[in-house]
Amino acid sequence: MAKRVSVDKWLFTVTLLLVFIGLVMVFSASAVMAKERFGSPYGFLVRQMAWASAGLVAMIVVMNIDYKKFRRPPVVFTFLGITSLLLIAVFLFRDSHNTHRWIKFGGLSFQPSEVAKPALILYLAYFLESRWQQITDWKNVLIPAAAPTLLFALLIVKEPDLGTAIACVAISAAVLFVAGMNMKYLWYALAGSLLPLYFLIVRVPWRWARMQAFLDPFKDPQGKGFHIIQSMIAVSTGGLTGLGLMEGKQKLFYLPEPHTDFIFAVTAEELGLWGSLLVVSLFGIFLYRGIRTALRTDDMFGKFLATGVTAMVVVQALFNISVVLAMMPAKGIPLPFISYGGSSLFITLASVGVLLNITQQAE
Amino acid sequence: MWASAPKTPSRRLYIFGALLFLWILAICFRLVRLQVVKYGDFVQRAQRQQNRTIPTEPRRGNIYDRDGYALAMSIDVDSVFAVPSEIHDQETTATLLGNVLGMDPRDIVARMQASRNFVYIKRKIDGETSNRVRQLNLRGIYFRKEPKRFYPKRELAAQVLGYVGMDDEGLGGLERQFDDDLRGIPGQELISIDARRKWFSRVERPPDPGQNLVLTIDQTIQYIAETELQKGMEDTKAIAGTVVVENPRTGEILALANRPTFNPNVFNNVPPESLKDRAVSDVYEPGSVFKIVTYSAAIDQHVVTPEDHIDCQHGSIDVFGMKIHDHESLGVVTIAEALAHSSDVAAIKVGMKLGDQRLYHYIHDYGFGQQTGIELPGETRGLAKPVSRWSKVSIGAISMGQEIGVTPLQTISLVSTIANDGVYTPPRIVAGELPPASKALPVVFHPAQQHRVVSTMTAAEMKKMLEGVVLFGTARRAILDGYTVAGKTGTAQKVDPATGVYSKTKYVASFIGFAPVNNPAITIAVILDSPIGLHQGGQVSAPVFKRIAMQVLEYMHVPRDLDVKSPQRQTLVASTKDSDLTDESPDHLGTPLQDDAAAASNAKATTTAAKPASSNEAAAATTAKISDTKPPASSGTEIAQVTALPPQPAPAGQSAPNGTVVLDVDSGVVVPSFLGKPLRSAVETAQQSGLEINAIGSGVARQQWPAPGSHLPSGQHITVRFTH
Repeated sequence: MAKRVSVDKWLFTVTLLLVFIGLVMVFSASAVMAKERFGSPYGFLVRQMAWASAGLVAMIVVMNIDYKKFRRPPVVFTFLGITSLLLIAVFLFRDSHNTHRWIKFGGLSFQPSEVAKPALILYLAYFLESRWQQITDWKNVLIPAAAPTLLFALLIVKEPDLGTAIACVAISAAVLFVAGMNMKYLWYALAGSLLPLYFLIVRVPWRWARMQAFLDPFKDPQGKGFHIIQSMIAVSTGGLTGLGLMEGKQKLFYLPEPHTDFIFAVTAEELGLWGSLLVVSLFGIFLYRGIRTALRTDDMFGKFLATGVTAMVVVQALFNISVVLAMMPAKGIPLPFISYGGSSLFITLASVGVLLNITQQAE
Repeated sequence: MWASAPKTPSRRLYIFGALLFLWILAICFRLVRLQVVKYGDFVQRAQRQQNRTIPTEPRRGNIYDRDGYALAMSIDVDSVFAVPSEIHDQETTATLLGNVLGMDPRDIVARMQASRNFVYIKRKIDGETSNRVRQLNLRGIYFRKEPKRFYPKRELAAQVLGYVGMDDEGLGGLERQFDDDLRGIPGQELISIDARRKWFSRVERPPDPGQNLVLTIDQTIQYIAETELQKGMEDTKAIAGTVVVENPRTGEILALANRPTFNPNVFNNVPPESLKDRAVSDVYEPGSVFKIVTYSAAIDQHVVTPEDHIDCQHGSIDVFGMKIHDHESLGVVTIAEALAHSSDVAAIKVGMKLGDQRLYHYIHDYGFGQQTGIELPGETRGLAKPVSRWSKVSIGAISMGQEIGVTPLQTISLVSTIANDGVYTPPRIVAGELPPASKALPVVFHPAQQHRVVSTMTAAEMKKMLEGVVLFGTARRAILDGYTVAGKTGTAQKVDPATGVYSKTKYVASFIGFAPVNNPAITIAVILDSPIGLHQGGQVSAPVFKRIAMQVLEYMHVPRDLDVKSPQRQTLVASTKDSDLTDESPDHLGTPLQDDAAAASNAKATTTAAKPASSNEAAAATTAKISDTKPPASSGTEIAQVTALPPQPAPAGQSAPNGTVVLDVDSGVVVPSFLGKPLRSAVETAQQSGLEINAIGSGVARQQWPAPGSHLPSGQHITVRFTH
């Protein structure tokens, strides 16, 4: 075991702050809806608090497990195998809204695609630790490294959940990039994905509508452009100081999913520029501390793991915020720590636990 | 190449970090742009979609009679609206509401999807329906008070008052004519939803109530006129009728009643015939009444005197080759007698002696062929052809009231001119306007521009002659107890619209008279269209005149100028036979009057009536007949009791009856209980008891003075306090 230093207090604090802001915003965004659905304004908050508590416990537990214990093939391949099974099993469950994203048992439900991200990160870190120097050997290294990602992405696209699929690919790409993948393969991959993306976006009417709405939301403000415009209205009416917690109005009828995908819009409306900059800055600090951890870790497994977890949190956050700010077309990606959603929060926190353990072992 | 490989991950990490920091930077710029630079644009956009401004209806001005009794008023009723965002299950809500409101649930759902924060479901519903909706206790369904027009006296003066549409816009009568003044200015209210999805409203601009209108109508006289006209209609089976009561000195219309009629509270499916204000829009041939023009003109021009003798040629005359026969074979009689017996031969001879130009001059001066300028919509000019368009027989026809089209209002103005010593006074029905805040204060009525038509001498002669018509001529059924009376009958054959020739069975029977003769207080016109059986003006219209005149003169405290039971008059009345009262001309000169003015006014009435048919307001589903409506102090027995009191001196020339009726308190009404009733039903209850309400506050009646069960004379005010 390497020498032990204390846990990265910045990362730890930023995580706690983001979870706290998340709980506050979930309550604010969902209180009216919760009152209608559960008869109590705290309906969503209570569930989110339960998941947050479980997630924080998991984070602290994982934080105290030496991450190197995950390096063993049985752990890596079991994780990968179970995830594959879950991703296939999801199609056996009754669809909701014509999608197969959820696995439900009892009162609980979770999205296997959430598990896919840490599984892929763990696999990549494990696989590349000893082979990253031969990464130019595309037949024996690059293809096997990328294969599970492509498989998972295909399954997730099939659900269909293009946003999460893209997030998985982006996270894996980040790890591969840091591992030294030749840039030309990245361009090949991008070029190769153009055709499937064409079929997945241009030829699927609702996705194409979203794309058009993104390109010119004001062309059809009551139809295709509605959500984008409503989101911008919410962010903009926040102004410098915001309308005040609980006082936002856009969440009532105008914002789609105000407590999940568009929670950042509610945050910006109610807390203003200062609040939204605070949230963005917290993710910025997370990025900085995550990269710093990866840089300081000599152990390649730890380095790739740290890169993957940092990418998972920050890339998804930036995706989500960019969609809310109409900088990217709408995709169903939640805002890590903040959006309502138990499985996502729990798994993200557990993954951060791994990152925190790595910080303890970095020089 | 791979010598530096171990360093690659670090370099790549820096690049990766830098890229993401750039992304974060871009997001920060975007945030500043949206939240600071573009702030204003989007705030406006947000308000547009989050708030809704709705107009608030102003309170429409009341219409009062001359004594300040409300004939048309605005009361607050509930309008149901929905805040759709508060309703989860719009289908269920719509079904429940649809049942109570009698609406198609699909229609309600469609309304609810039109807006997120405010839609009207149904406006201006009655109290009972409103209570039933309240009992449903539906989420997201609310009420707001809106003023609704209410005509507490129902059919009383319906065509004069007119009626309003759903948005209180005046569609007929004075409501239409004075719409701009009565309407007021709408206010604005902002409806918004707060962050907890609760709606709230803010008054942006309060509505400005409309002006009140004070009429010259006296509701008691109006009631007398309506009742007696109704009775006359039933007795004679006439298809339509008009009664006008006027003060001949000032031109004030004291009553204007039409049949058929309607209840302006429920004006859907009302036939156009009932909406028509015949007094101003009907054009008919006046027949013998018009002989007043011929005779007064001839006397005024000194062509004849009442004492001159004229040969009625035993009821036969040849006018340019056309033979005219009188209904009665008269020999040589005086001019006065010729008028009393309504000889056509005499009228033709007098007219021809006068000549075209002079006759036309008087026709014009009496106001025929012109609007009287009364404040009612749809007034026609009638038809009075200029001399240039007369045929050679026109002078004969016009002299006896054919070939000329007049309105009831024009004819009453003719008789009133004689009553008013030869001075024409344009009839008026609006005394003035009052600002919204004040209750009906005394309004000073200013008569319109008057002008002399015939000399005082001529008028005095005509009065005497017209009194003769009543005493010895065709109008003996109009003889009054205790009052002298003068007037003229008319019986004109109607032109059959199908054939264009004079009908043998359809007549317009009229009597227009005034009383007392020497100091006339009232002129009354009674015009009955197509009575069945007896159809002479003297037979059917004169009795209606008599009943109205007796009641109105007593009500106005006009001093008697005769003994109540003058034996001479009793004899005259007793000796009257229906056959003596004929004034119809059996023959016609020239062609029937082409009644295009009347046709035009018919068309107008049709268009007016088409509008309200679109509304299906059931709020005021009161179906009782006019005979159920009892304005205070106006039932026959009460008037009879007034008769027994010693006559009260009235100042000479007093034009305005003061409206207070002295009654025996024992015969007064028992004050009903208003407690627990909403304003509307309280007003109706009061109406039925012949009482007036002073309403304080709004909501439900909680207190009243005097207490239920006490005795009050009819027409007294009850004070009722309403609270919610």
